[in-house]
Amino acid sequence: MNFLKQTLATIALCFALQYFLPWWTLAIGAFAAGYWFRNKGIVSFAAGFAGVALLWFATALIIDLQTQSILTEKVARLFPTKTPVLLFVLTAFVGALPGGFAALTGSLIKSNR
Amino acid sequence: MRPFATAVSLLVTLTLLYSLNRGWNLGSPIPPLGKFLDPFHGFWQNAQPGKPINEVKSIPGLRGKVTVIYDSIRVPHVFAENDDDLYRAQGYVTAVDRLWQMEFQTHAAAGRVAEILGPVALDYDRRQRRLGMVFGARVAVDKMTGNPTTKVEVDQYTAGINDFISSLSYEDYPFEYKLLDYAPEPWTNLKCALLLKSMAQTLNMGEKDLEMTNALTLFGKETLDILYPDREPIGDPIVDNAGKWNFTPIKLDSVPLALPNELVSLKPFEKSSPDIGSNNWAVSGTKTASGSPILCNDPHLSLSLPSIWYIIHLNSPTVNTMGASLPGSPAVISGFNDSIAWGMTNAQRDLVDWYKIQFKDKTKTEYMSDGQWRAARKEIETFKVKGDKDYIDTVTYTHHGPVVFDESFHPERESSHFAFRWIAHDPSKEALTFHKLNRAKNHAEYMSALDHYGSPAQNFVFASVSGDVAMRIQGKYPVRRKEEGKFILDGTKTSTEWKAFIPNEQNVMYKNPSRGFVSSANQHPVDSTYPYYVGATSFEAYRNRRINQVLNASTNIAPKDMMALQNDNYNLKAAESLPVFLTHLDESILTDSEKKAVSALKSWDYYNNIESEGASYYEAWWRALVPMIWDEMDSAHVATWYPTTFNTIRLIKTKPQFSFFDLVATPEKETATEILRKAFSKGVAMIDEWKSKNQKDPQWASFKDSYIGHLLRQEALSYHVISGGNSSIVNAHSRTHGPSWRMVVSLEKNGLKAWGVYPGGQSGNPGSPFYNNMIMPWTLGKYFQMHFVSSPEQLGPYKFSSTQLAPAK
Repeated sequence: MNFLKQTLATIALCFALQYFLPWWTLAIGAFAAGYWFRNKGIVSFAAGFAGVALLWFATALIIDLQTQSILTEKVARLFPTKTPVLLFVLTAFVGALPGGFAALTGSLIKSNR
Repeated sequence: MRPFATAVSLLVTLTLLYSLNRGWNLGSPIPPLGKFLDPFHGFWQNAQPGKPINEVKSIPGLRGKVTVIYDSIRVPHVFAENDDDLYRAQGYVTAVDRLWQMEFQTHAAAGRVAEILGPVALDYDRRQRRLGMVFGARVAVDKMTGNPTTKVEVDQYTAGINDFISSLSYEDYPFEYKLLDYAPEPWTNLKCALLLKSMAQTLNMGEKDLEMTNALTLFGKETLDILYPDREPIGDPIVDNAGKWNFTPIKLDSVPLALPNELVSLKPFEKSSPDIGSNNWAVSGTKTASGSPILCNDPHLSLSLPSIWYIIHLNSPTVNTMGASLPGSPAVISGFNDSIAWGMTNAQRDLVDWYKIQFKDKTKTEYMSDGQWRAARKEIETFKVKGDKDYIDTVTYTHHGPVVFDESFHPERESSHFAFRWIAHDPSKEALTFHKLNRAKNHAEYMSALDHYGSPAQNFVFASVSGDVAMRIQGKYPVRRKEEGKFILDGTKTSTEWKAFIPNEQNVMYKNPSRGFVSSANQHPVDSTYPYYVGATSFEAYRNRRINQVLNASTNIAPKDMMALQNDNYNLKAAESLPVFLTHLDESILTDSEKKAVSALKSWDYYNNIESEGASYYEAWWRALVPMIWDEMDSAHVATWYPTTFNTIRLIKTKPQFSFFDLVATPEKETATEILRKAFSKGVAMIDEWKSKNQKDPQWASFKDSYIGHLLRQEALSYHVISGGNSSIVNAHSRTHGPSWRMVVSLEKNGLKAWGVYPGGQSGNPGSPFYNNMIMPWTLGKYFQMHFVSSPEQLGPYKFSSTQLAPAK
């Protein structure tokens, strides 16, 4: 349950930050959610990872659908990913990884107190 | 308390953020993945839905309101209240669609590609600087800003581009900036000049001086004249005005032609493709169905994405003009206005010389000129290199121009130094030409506009609503003695320098010739009675004659006939050579697949259409044949130059025993017959190999495999296209080159009508539906009507979206 709450909070916070600020602010959002929910390290990492992954995946998917994959297909071929599906996975993963570690850091600081 | 774990986790987080925020080079460059893949700011934001977006933009410095209406193929129709705003808006809207391309092309012209792509481009960059590209652009920008009219025009155009650049944040950057991880820099007037010089480099740097010098030494003058005649017996020059050149030409004092006797070991730069050329023609009302002239133009260039041209319609109280513009240069370059239409083809002429320089000593600070030591100038060139430290190069300039090759740059085994004299280093005022052409009302004003034009020299076709058609070959042409400049020149004497230039009024031109049309397709410019020596690397021999045959035979011409002619795939070269080639074969000794090839060739109608198999067999035969004939050149180990297609075929027909038909590598003595037979077998083998590799029939379009490549040579952003045509054919679409803009203008009295198309799209953004939308219509020979109107209201039914540019309050 706490995992789900933290995941949703990460999505909301990161969306708000990213809407205006550069990509790396996702770490601030995931960190804050990790700090707030005092989950166990592994749960916090998973929530941060999942939150950012979902946010990035969904946003990319909406753009892809609105634009009939016009650029997705080209960029997928530019990368070793080759297929759009793998490009979505890569996109989600690249955001999720620092998201997960930022959330872990947040939860660890909390447990320090 | 877990301070250690916390610290590790924080460190991992920060390391990840850092690593994903910067690019890496792991064999191939990788963009900063976090930045690039971020769906809120990264490449995803460059994907465009293709729905109309109507915008209002506030532009500081604009004097009035500018309305920009985009039609269904995203041609901007720009309506401004004054010329300042018009050119500012042109800069702005062009940058909206083409900013990355404009900057990349001018970086390439200026030798600054290593800044973006790293050390791999350094050699290219040094070449550009050593050819004096920036030097030439500086001279040009001085002229451009020295004239009040063109100064305002270029200043405003530059300001408009910068208005757009300063409105951008990372998520708005064109796709390629994100991919390569850099940012646009402010535009400058110098960049406009660099673009012009890069066109001059493509079109007017053709020369074969080193190659001719080597050929002279290797083969002797008599053979040289057989291999490379100044005038091939083709006929049909652009202007045939025999016996009517009624002017007194400039005469130079006579100096005997000094023939060099040496081999130059330098490896000349890769030349512009011989497929660079163009067609243009104008038929007068006597030959058209409407009774009004029709003008056509299709410039043949390397086909790339983003496309080289950008269609635009410019309207202000002083001008109403439309046509193809070059992103990075103000005004319309090939187009029309309410009264006239014009277009260009390249006018080949020898506009480059290499002078052998005698330096006093190794410091290269002084060189000999007419018995005196003259001071050389040194220019220090600094190159920024991505991922590496700056590179410093010193270029020595003589009064001829820069010494391109030296100990530090591609010296090969050559110890001599040669200075590079190029017409495009000279001051000229092309910007004023286009400013005036865009506004010209009649033939006289077209003539006056062209008077300012220097380089790159072009064949300017003209037609007017009032019924005139004309052709003028305009450029700054040095007056040359016979054969002067064909070989390397002695830089210690001033007698062979460019002393005088052909006066404008003595350039090759005519108006309303009796045959009822004018045309040019890069052939020899003029009949043999023209009183100046005319030389060039080569002249085209086939397209022009096919065009003239069709135009001569046509009456009641409609615009659709002219579109058909621009897309004409008739292979005159094959029609003139294949029947002869076939007579040399001995059909009794052919293999099965060779017999199939012969029957494909015999049943071929000489059209390089998409499905023609005969065209593929002919092409394969030709490709095998040429290097076999000229194997003497390849085995010479110095730079040489293959004779022209026309001359090669002529020698096969008229001199089958010519010594060059002997293969150097074999003990036997071959003649044209043996060479043709060997090449035939090799060509058929080439096709068989292709067939087994591709598992399909060798239809011409598949075999040719035309390709329109993105400027960064990324396959994913490029297209293979199925289309007919080839070099030497009116539809001059070879594998990588072809008609980069097709325009047909019917100059009717009750309203001029025009059509155009090019292989690409108005947007340079690979994420836009307008990136490639014209490629398919172009390959099918279809055109888009140009909605040429005089007010925004008239565009009602064609409007797709609009942008209002308003002065900042």
